Amino acid sequence: MEMGLKPSTAKGVFRLDPRTKLALLITVGIIMMSGKYTGVEYTLRLICICVPFILLLSVRLYKSAVIAAVLLLATVLCEGFIIPKTSGLVNLLIMIVCGVISRFGPGYLCGWYVVRSTSVSEFVTAMERMHFPNVITIPMSVMFRYFPTLKEEYASIHDAMKMREIGQSIKNPFTHVEYILVPIMMSTVQIANDLSAASLTKGLGTGRKRTHICNIGLTPVDVGLIVIMTGMLALFFIF
Amino acid sequence: MIEFSNVTFIYNATRADGVKEDTAGVRDLNITVNDGEFLVLTGGSGCGKTTVIRLINGLIPYFYNGELSGKINLENRDMREMSIYDISEKVGSVFQNPKSQFFNVNTTDEMAFAAENQSRDPQEIKTMIGTTADSLKIESLLNRNIFDLSGGEKQLVACAGINVLSPNIIVLDEPSSNLDHRAIGKLTDMLKLWKKQGKTIIIAEHRLFYLKDLADRMLVMEEGKIKKEFDADAINRLKYEELDGLGLRPLVLEDIPFEKTEETTPEKFVELKDFSFSYKDKLHSIDIPNLSIPAKCITAVIGHNGAGKSTLVRNICGLEKRCKGLLTYNGKSMKYKERLHSCYMIMQDVNHQLFTESVADEVMLSITCKKMNEEEKRKKAENILRDLDLGDVTEAHPMALSGGQKQRTAIASGIASDKPIIIFDEPTSGLDLCHMKQVADRIKELKRFGKTVLIVTHDYEFILRCCDHIIRMERGKIKESYDLNEKTVNKLRDYININDGGKENV
Repeated sequence: MEMGLKPSTAKGVFRLDPRTKLALLITVGIIMMSGKYTGVEYTLRLICICVPFILLLSVRLYKSAVIAAVLLLATVLCEGFIIPKTSGLVNLLIMIVCGVISRFGPGYLCGWYVVRSTSVSEFVTAMERMHFPNVITIPMSVMFRYFPTLKEEYASIHDAMKMREIGQSIKNPFTHVEYILVPIMMSTVQIANDLSAASLTKGLGTGRKRTHICNIGLTPVDVGLIVIMTGMLALFFIF
Repeated sequence: MIEFSNVTFIYNATRADGVKEDTAGVRDLNITVNDGEFLVLTGGSGCGKTTVIRLINGLIPYFYNGELSGKINLENRDMREMSIYDISEKVGSVFQNPKSQFFNVNTTDEMAFAAENQSRDPQEIKTMIGTTADSLKIESLLNRNIFDLSGGEKQLVACAGINVLSPNIIVLDEPSSNLDHRAIGKLTDMLKLWKKQGKTIIIAEHRLFYLKDLADRMLVMEEGKIKKEFDADAINRLKYEELDGLGLRPLVLEDIPFEKTEETTPEKFVELKDFSFSYKDKLHSIDIPNLSIPAKCITAVIGHNGAGKSTLVRNICGLEKRCKGLLTYNGKSMKYKERLHSCYMIMQDVNHQLFTESVADEVMLSITCKKMNEEEKRKKAENILRDLDLGDVTEAHPMALSGGQKQRTAIASGIASDKPIIIFDEPTSGLDLCHMKQVADRIKELKRFGKTVLIVTHDYEFILRCCDHIIRMERGKIKESYDLNEKTVNKLRDYININDGGKENV
């Protein structure tokens, strides 16, 4: 899986504003995490599992989209129609398995989509539009930028360990962790240091207003989606 | 105009053994840089040239702690009265390590970043990115993922970002250390453009050959002071021997003499068969049906970025499982797993391969011989460390050592591991003349130990100094493979010269 914010913004018709993505993420998260298996809430759950499918399709993750759709549909149908008919241990087992998948899966997939489809500068711009202070925005954007760095560093350290034939035995997992952690901390601290220095010379973090070259803005699609999501949440809380 | 008057800066640092020790960055420095001047700062490691750069871009005193005295004026304003934000509007910086100077993941966003922070009009920034990409011919670098670029491409993106901001003063701290000759050609074009625009440029650098025609003045520093000063005419008249005497890298690569000290005719060869490998992204693939590497000799692997040099050595080491190739040495054919036991690589970033709490432990970790007890291992480790000039830091933490000492620690572990093949990935990037010579001597010693040494490098001077054999790669294939001697040295010169002119040879 790719980590970190996407380098370039998604092209094509289906380009959502980061704020809309956030609304989708929150709505799907809340409804799937805490919804019941009956009545209106069950219908809402059925609608919600379509969201990750469409979102993943829009970032061209066709295979994952189909797998996710099939799996989620199966679990939600299970919850609606099989769980009420079973009892005892079978019931418990199905409950646990389906519960884990349907309650955490959609939120996770939406989060994956957000990370895949948003660039760092889009993220920063959206956060500023929502009047988040820089104290929160800048560390968070650096964090996203950091995932791929960690991945690169981890890969080189892992190679070095293989070459020196150390930390390979399963008998002592703690040595393995120690051997990975020490160099990774050293090099990431160094990189973070250099990065802060470079950002300072580029005039970041002085509290003055930045401008942005990336265009984010609410299109009719965004507005429509946000209205639908709010409606769904309202329905969810009323019933 | 930038004026330094009696500037002294002392870093507050902590030594390897935890004792606080203040080291001088610069002492009592007086420099005046005129508008539109191209100034080169050079000198051995730790001579203070980086400190000068940091003083100009405001990282001292805003980022690095220490005691600063004296006065620096930037365009007739006292720098002490300027915030780092004010400075960042006037001074653009390019750093040594392309890996750690980007805030964004997307290249276009990064080019816009500094200008955005200065609240420039977005439309203006976009137009400027367009013109910059056009004049540097780097349209292909727009809208890319920073993590997919080579070091040279990253440096170009950094330069492009500065061009978008277009400050009057540009400082560069060893920008070429991770670049091959072709990328340096591109960097030179950028510098030429800036010079033509009348920017004031201050560059700290070890490798001088690409700056010869650009420099208006060159300052040679030592221990935080200016030791020698050359104007453009004097730079042109400088001879190779004089530079060597000053501990500087050559200004003209053609001047470097080639003296073969010892003729080595290899008796045996390391044979590679069916080395083909490609990554998922299809970049940097290699396809080598057959290759002989002379055993117990030093072989340089050269070629442009992306030619597959690193892929080749990774495969030789056995780091890629999917490689089906066979390596035959001493009548023994080895698959990737066995190759892991007989190859040792010293990586470009040695921080990745130091794991323990002391230098001696680090070396002992590599001694895997089961017959030896702790006492014997320690003795062997200490012997190796003494040979490599590390005798007095055996108990220090490897991470507290200097860059050169870390590299030697890694070499020591390589020797201790008793593996016959030792591979170096760009061992001399960012090294001054003196340290480059030291590394060359160490590597020659490895040869005397009977090791087969492979070196991936862009450093022409270094190749002439210690290599016996050259393998040149292009697009994943072996283009040339020859012993380095008086006759073949011209081939190597051709390869370098073509690229010096900035011409593409693909």
